[in-house]
Order: sequence, then C-alpha cells, then structure tokens
Amino acid sequence: MPWTLGGGLLGDVTGLSSLVLLRPPAHRVSPRARVLWRIEALLGALPVLAAQAFWWLRDPASPRPIQVWLLVATIAIDTAYLVVMPIWRYRVHRWEVTDEAVYTQTGWLTQERRIAPITRIQTVDLTRGPVAGMLRLASVRVTTASSAGPLRIHGLDHAEAVALVERLTTLTIADPGDAT
Amino acid sequence: MSEKPSGSMPFRRLDARMLLVHPVQEAVRFLPALVALFVTGRSSDRSPLWDLGALVVVIVLGMSRWFTTRYRISGGQIELRSGLFTRKVLATPADRVRTVDVTAPIWHRLVGLARVEIGTGSSRAMDDRIVLDALAAPVAQALRAELLHRAATLTPPTPASGSGAVIGEDGQPSLPSPAQGAIPVDLPPPTVEQDLMTLNPRWIAYAPLTTSGLLTALAVWGFVSQYLVDLIPTIESAVGQVQAWGVWISLAVGVLMALAAIAGMAITAYVLQFWGFRLSRHSGGTLHVTRGLLTTHATSLEEARIRGLEIGEPLGLRWAKAGRLHAIGTGLRSGDGADRGRAWLVPPAPRDVVEGVARLVLGRVEPLDTTLEQHGPAARRRRYVRAVVPAALLAGLATWGWVRGDLPGLVTLTAYLPLVVSPLLARDRYAALGHALTAEYVVARSGSIERRRDVVARAGVVGVVTRATFFQRRAGVATVVVATAAGRQGYRILDVPAERSEELVVELVPQARAFCDSVS
Repeated sequence: MPWTLGGGLLGDVTGLSSLVLLRPPAHRVSPRARVLWRIEALLGALPVLAAQAFWWLRDPASPRPIQVWLLVATIAIDTAYLVVMPIWRYRVHRWEVTDEAVYTQTGWLTQERRIAPITRIQTVDLTRGPVAGMLRLASVRVTTASSAGPLRIHGLDHAEAVALVERLTTLTIADPGDAT
Repeated sequence: MSEKPSGSMPFRRLDARMLLVHPVQEAVRFLPALVALFVTGRSSDRSPLWDLGALVVVIVLGMSRWFTTRYRISGGQIELRSGLFTRKVLATPADRVRTVDVTAPIWHRLVGLARVEIGTGSSRAMDDRIVLDALAAPVAQALRAELLHRAATLTPPTPASGSGAVIGEDGQPSLPSPAQGAIPVDLPPPTVEQDLMTLNPRWIAYAPLTTSGLLTALAVWGFVSQYLVDLIPTIESAVGQVQAWGVWISLAVGVLMALAAIAGMAITAYVLQFWGFRLSRHSGGTLHVTRGLLTTHATSLEEARIRGLEIGEPLGLRWAKAGRLHAIGTGLRSGDGADRGRAWLVPPAPRDVVEGVARLVLGRVEPLDTTLEQHGPAARRRRYVRAVVPAALLAGLATWGWVRGDLPGLVTLTAYLPLVVSPLLARDRYAALGHALTAEYVVARSGSIERRRDVVARAGVVGVVTRATFFQRRAGVATVVVATAAGRQGYRILDVPAERSEELVVELVPQARAFCDSVS
C-alpha cells in the first residue's frame, strides 16, 4: 500500500490527496486568511491569560511555582498554535466549483473533504465577521438538505466570495427541484 | 378571526372534547410535584399556591387553543390558523405531505379523540409541522386517508383561495400549475391493504436484552434521587440490613434486585411501546404502522419518501438471534431523541422477521444479502488500539494507586476487567466493520454493543464528506460520511482504506469525477 504521510509536522499535510483518484481542489483561499486565523486564535487565547493574570493579582502568595508553570505552558502552547496552525491550515484549505459540484478541503489536524452536487444545494450564504471585514475577507457556506453536509469556505477574498455566491446562486436557480 | 368567504370548504375547529381532556392531561403532568407537595408538606420555601397558579395558567392557555385554532383542507392546500396574541397562518400544499401521524394518548382514547401530526418535506424542524390536537378519532383517520391519497395523486389546486398567504418553503414553486383543471375528488378510491407483519407476544422475551430497560431505570433513578433526602430513614435501615447480612450476600442481593428491576422495566417499556404492532402496506404507496398499549400511534409513510433502513443488532439481541428495524425517510418528524427522523418498522424480533420485512420494504434482496467489503489490517489495528489502550491506562492507574496504598486490592482487580474484555470487543468490532455498494443502495455496518447495518438509497445521497484525523492519515484510512436528508442525516463508513475512500466518493457522487486525476 503506497500510502505514507511524509514525516515531519508540516510534511505531507494534505495527506488525503497523496493517492490515485481524487486530487485536492484547485484554489487556495486568500493568503490573508492566515492573519485572520492568527487573530482569531489570539482572541481565543486571551481569556485564559486574563484568568491567570487575575489569579496572580488577587493571590497574595504569587508567584507560586504552579502559577509559573501554568503560565509557561500556556504561552508555549499558544505560541506553537499561533505559529503552526495558520500555516498548516492555509496549506490544507482549498476549494473548487464546477458547473456540477462544489468541492472543499478544510482542517489541519483533522482534515475533511466535502463534495456536494449543485443539484442538491439548498442555500448559499456569505458571512463576514468584524475581523474578517477589516481584512477584506468573507466566508461562504453552502447547505444541502442534510444537516450533516454543509460546505464552508473560510477566509476567501471578499470580492471573490461575492462572485462565488453569485455563480452558485445562478447555477442553483437553473436547477429546480426540492433537493432531497 | 373572521372567516373570509372563499367559496370552498369552511374552516373546521378542533374537537370540543379536548376542553375536557386538556386540564386532566396537564394536571397529571403536574402530579409528581403535587404529590411531593402533599407528602412532604412543602416542596420548597415557596407557597404551594405557586404550583397551583402555574397549573391554572397552563390549562387556560391550552384551552384557549380550541377557540383560536382552525384548519381546512381545500383546493390542494392545508391551512392552519392558530395563535392567541400572534395570529399565525400556515399554508402548505397537500402534495408536500410526507407523513401523517395519528397519536392517541390514554386520556384522548377515553373520550374518543386523537392527535394528528402532519410532516412535510422541509429540512427545517419545527416551522412546517402541523399539529391538530385533538380531533375525533374517526375524523382523524379520515383526514389521514384523505391527505395521503392527495399526496399520492397530486390533485390540482383551485386558484387562490381564502387567506392568500401561501407560504412556500425554501422559495420553491409551491404547487404544480393547475393545467388539467380537473375537479379534486374528495373520496379516495378503495385501497387494498396488505399485512407485512404483526407482533407475536412471545417477542416480549427480547425486551430485557435491549438497553431500553437500563435507560428507563436510569431515568427513574434520576427522578427518585431528587427526593432522596426524604428517603434517608429507608436508606439507613438498608445499611443496617447490609451489616447484618455481610457484604457479599448484600452485593449479590442488590445486583439481582437491580437486574430484576431493569428487566421488569424493559418488559413494561416494550409492551407500552409495541403492543399490537402491525405493519401494513397500502396500494396507494404508503406504509402504515400502528402500535402502543395505552398511547396508540398510527404512522403513515409515503414509500417514495423512504430513503433506507437501519437494521439494529445490539449485543443482547444479536446473542438471541434477533434484531430490530427502522425506516429512514425525509419529512419524518415523529418521535423524540434517537427516534427522530426514523420510524419503527419491526420492534425487537427474530432476525428472520426483521430481514423478511426489510426485503419486502426495499423490494429487493441485494442490500441485505451482499457480502460486505472488509476494511483491512489498518482498520483492524485501530480497533485493537482504541479498545485496549484506554483499558490499559485504567489498569495502570489502578495499579499505581494500589502500590501507593490508596486503593484496596479488590477495586484494583475490578479495574483490570476492561483490559480482559477489550480484545474481545475489538475483535467483534472489526468483524462487524464493512461496507458495500449495490446498484441502488450503499450499505455500512459497524459497532459491537450497538451494532447497526445502515442501508441508504444512493438516490438520496446529497453529499459526501471524507474525514481523516492525524492518526487516521498515519494509518492510511479515512471515514466516509454519506450525507442524506433522512434519518440521522449522516451515515458513517468507518476507517475505509484511503484509496477505497476516494473511489467511494466518486461512486456516490458521480459529479466528483471532475476532481479526479486521469488515472482510472
């Protein structure tokens, strides 16, 4: 079985693709998506750091050894996450749309590929959070009649996302039916 | 709430007898609280008047429904007007009806009423469900027949009637155009009914082998434990008894009593749920299930909407050569929790019965008889690793605790039990693992304690997801999730060899061929 995951942490990160049939989707998301993911990760890490700062300030016996270890561990994990995750994700995240199907690849540690035929699409929507807005990015979500199979493309360039939604909408309208 | 002149059928009210049933039903629901109130003298610091006040408000609100709810079926449309403060008008084309459920809880049955629940084929859960609580039982049956007949024959609608608020879901064209201009006929032609299966009372013996008894016992325990404080004297006397008997005998007695209680509850649950179970097929293209002892359920499914089957073979039932069968379909909104989106076709019963019904419903044998493709050495290794490693960790921790002197030897020994069982579990899990594709169905089987064989129609596949964790990629396997609008929404094929998973994707969604390199 010629299946291998090329060694290192960032080796063959798109492991699913290394074989015969299915190739990865054609397009990458915007390079600015890395910044977006990094900022989002930072915002997620802040409450944990804030909680620890609160403990340091309120506890007269600070700094206890356990507090120091906790802080060191938190900073180490967060730094690694902030550095590695966006790069890894950017290598994995890809998308492609043909006249017949939508295809996405997402994730980093756990990776997913989702394919839905255009005929099965029920809704297409575009969202942009405040951070994504500042970076001129947006996400596109495509849903089907099954709650198990929505396709999401994060970190698309906003203009590109708008064009994609328009294209998908046109394709979907061209194909009536209740898509179940 | 004036009824506009619409030239067709007038709006109908719910049955007035519901005014009788409703207060009783709500009072019974409040019963545990009321009993606790009278037994203990007080439930908490608040006055008992609060409970009674809440009960009165609930009853008044419930009864107001009779005055505010009206419905009619006219011109190929089902219209429902409801709401006390916010008037709601729900209109749905009758040809969108996928399922009709007629349920008669005990109080309804006493006065000859039934509750009708109409499911339409939308993917959204609550907005489109039409519930009529309650109608006279014969009216409910007639309504069911009428709706399913309409659904089957696509009666053309009469032009714009009544409210004019046609709420087509998903912005889709809501009705076929009235081209042929025929007059809708209200009386369905006589249908032929064919029995597929009826319950054999002997199957009740399978009840203790299912997990439902255990779950019921846990629920009862959860309920009782709220009032545990009141039981302290009883518990103290039980502790005294334990001291008198010695630990081992008490333990044995306790285990036996618990097993007997669980079995008893399982049997009760089976009888309540499945008494008089009857599955039949109508020539109009629908399956009918009637069941229940106190609360009777009558479910009708349009066969064209059935997207597959789930054949359940949990450990206990498998050991007794038995199984159970669910249908999965779009627009199946009946049931709660795990039953959501699924309908019972066969209660726990001998395997022959289950497979026989499955053949009759599918109309073909391949999905049941085909041999499943195994998932290979990597999948087998993962079954063992995932079963043995956690068990070994537990045993290791217990040993460490014993060495430090924190744990008694007996407890440590018990912690080794999972380690002994885990290889057997892993072997059984791998033996079950497999999948197959036939011309029309995709079949997937997995699990040991809760083993299930899922049969999903390939025509109902709305997408495919391939998922691989870091460890799965290292092992060269991936999980394929078949997305469908029916049942559990996603059906997993676990740990398929990577190259096979890619073939599966292309076979399930032929449009994916555009994303393939030209190797094949």
